[in-house]
Amino acid sequence: MGSRQITEKSLSMLRSLPRISLSNLRDNPGSKKTSKRGRAQHGGDKHGAGNKGSGQRQNYMRLGYETGNNPFYLRVPQEHYYRGHHLRRQYPPLSLLQLQHIIDKDRVDINKPIDIASIVKTGTYNFYPDQKHFGINLTDEGIDIFKAKINIEVQWASEQVIAAIERNGGVITTAYYDPHSLYLLKNPKKFFESGQAIPRRMIPPPDAIEYYTNPENRGYLADPDKVSEERLKLAQKYGYQLPNIESDPEYSMFCERKDPRQIFFGLEPGWVVNLKDKFILKPKDEELLQYYSA
Amino acid sequence: MATVLRSRCAFARLFAGKTGQILNNSIDLGIKSAPESLSATSVTRHYSSYSKSPFADKITEQYNYEIVKNPPEWTYVERLLPFETIPQVKPKDSYPSGWVPPKEEASNHPYFMRRTKNHEVPIYLNLYDRGQRKITKLKRIEGDIWSMNDEIKSLLEKKANKYVETRVHELGTFIEVKGDYVNELKEWALSKGF
Repeated sequence: MGSRQITEKSLSMLRSLPRISLSNLRDNPGSKKTSKRGRAQHGGDKHGAGNKGSGQRQNYMRLGYETGNNPFYLRVPQEHYYRGHHLRRQYPPLSLLQLQHIIDKDRVDINKPIDIASIVKTGTYNFYPDQKHFGINLTDEGIDIFKAKINIEVQWASEQVIAAIERNGGVITTAYYDPHSLYLLKNPKKFFESGQAIPRRMIPPPDAIEYYTNPENRGYLADPDKVSEERLKLAQKYGYQLPNIESDPEYSMFCERKDPRQIFFGLEPGWVVNLKDKFILKPKDEELLQYYSA
Repeated sequence: MATVLRSRCAFARLFAGKTGQILNNSIDLGIKSAPESLSATSVTRHYSSYSKSPFADKITEQYNYEIVKNPPEWTYVERLLPFETIPQVKPKDSYPSGWVPPKEEASNHPYFMRRTKNHEVPIYLNLYDRGQRKITKLKRIEGDIWSMNDEIKSLLEKKANKYVETRVHELGTFIEVKGDYVNELKEWALSKGF
């Protein structure tokens, strides 16, 4: 092949290829070498940051610091209702708008029950159990546009949010998970790979029991009959017709709930999941069965 | 849990692996406490590291397990595993959240703007100088970037009723607009079908 042919071939190739931009441009392999520390005239300089002080260290003063004065936030009396805030349970918010958004973008499947594992799986919810995060607080932002019909399990929900979900024919449950269970729900794959048996979920602490046994909050420990009664009451309060979920074709899906001792849907405590060989190991020993069913 | 015995038997290690780290329910070694077999050999000796300790032999599997192959519950496991890629959006009748899918007619223009991997329009507000300077950045522009620049410039000048500064980076395939025009530009991009 002559050089003219090569030139024409490359030119025709260039014409058909997308335009060169920073996103598709690369150096020739091996053409770049990381330079060493400079030793010439300006080799050890300050790189324009100046000598000492704020310029060099970028140490903008911390918020509220008054260069040595008694700062405002210490000058005024303390706000005692914040005492112990670092020990309280935190429920990071997820709004109905965000929920609708991830449903629209097919990040969660509404034909299956939604729990915190499926919300965390979408990657749109920041959740850190080690920072006293105890789960989702479903908030009312986007309450008017929310149209999905779902079976959702959250950790905290207000009355309006419960009404918004039930008005669309959905079901909501509030459920407590202990921090250890939340670690498993945040990254189930990591847990399965560790080869341990799925533990039991713990019961709520004394100060949370009241919330999770209350049918008004759709607590998971509440009496189901009272919950259906409260559903009707809430529909009357907010003035909407409660859709009949018994006649729904997906009634069985809307009835799916976790056992109070269960962490994952469909998987029982005591089982070991082998991801590599796709086995599930189930205990048969009487002692283990008794332990995990307790 | 004073000692964790190393075992050649993988099955026993299922339990013995990281129990100390993670199980809060109980410390469960998978072997029932049989003191006469363990205490004589293991309690007195302390090895410098776990890897230097000898393999434990003759661990009897005392817990009875059933291994289920192709279990019907595997769908529940698959549901929990993370996405390998970000899922494609299936076409729907309506999107109540306000998200708009890209349209076919977007390719009719001399320029094109690709959606991000999260199916969003790549228009962002960047803050500089501790929030004093606001720059709207339009990214991932393909095709005739200069005609796109002219169009958004005239559009924004008409809307804001003042001169609007823009900066085109042809090689970097982005346009920067001085000021916060994110909502106007997003609206414009969606109207174009991007």
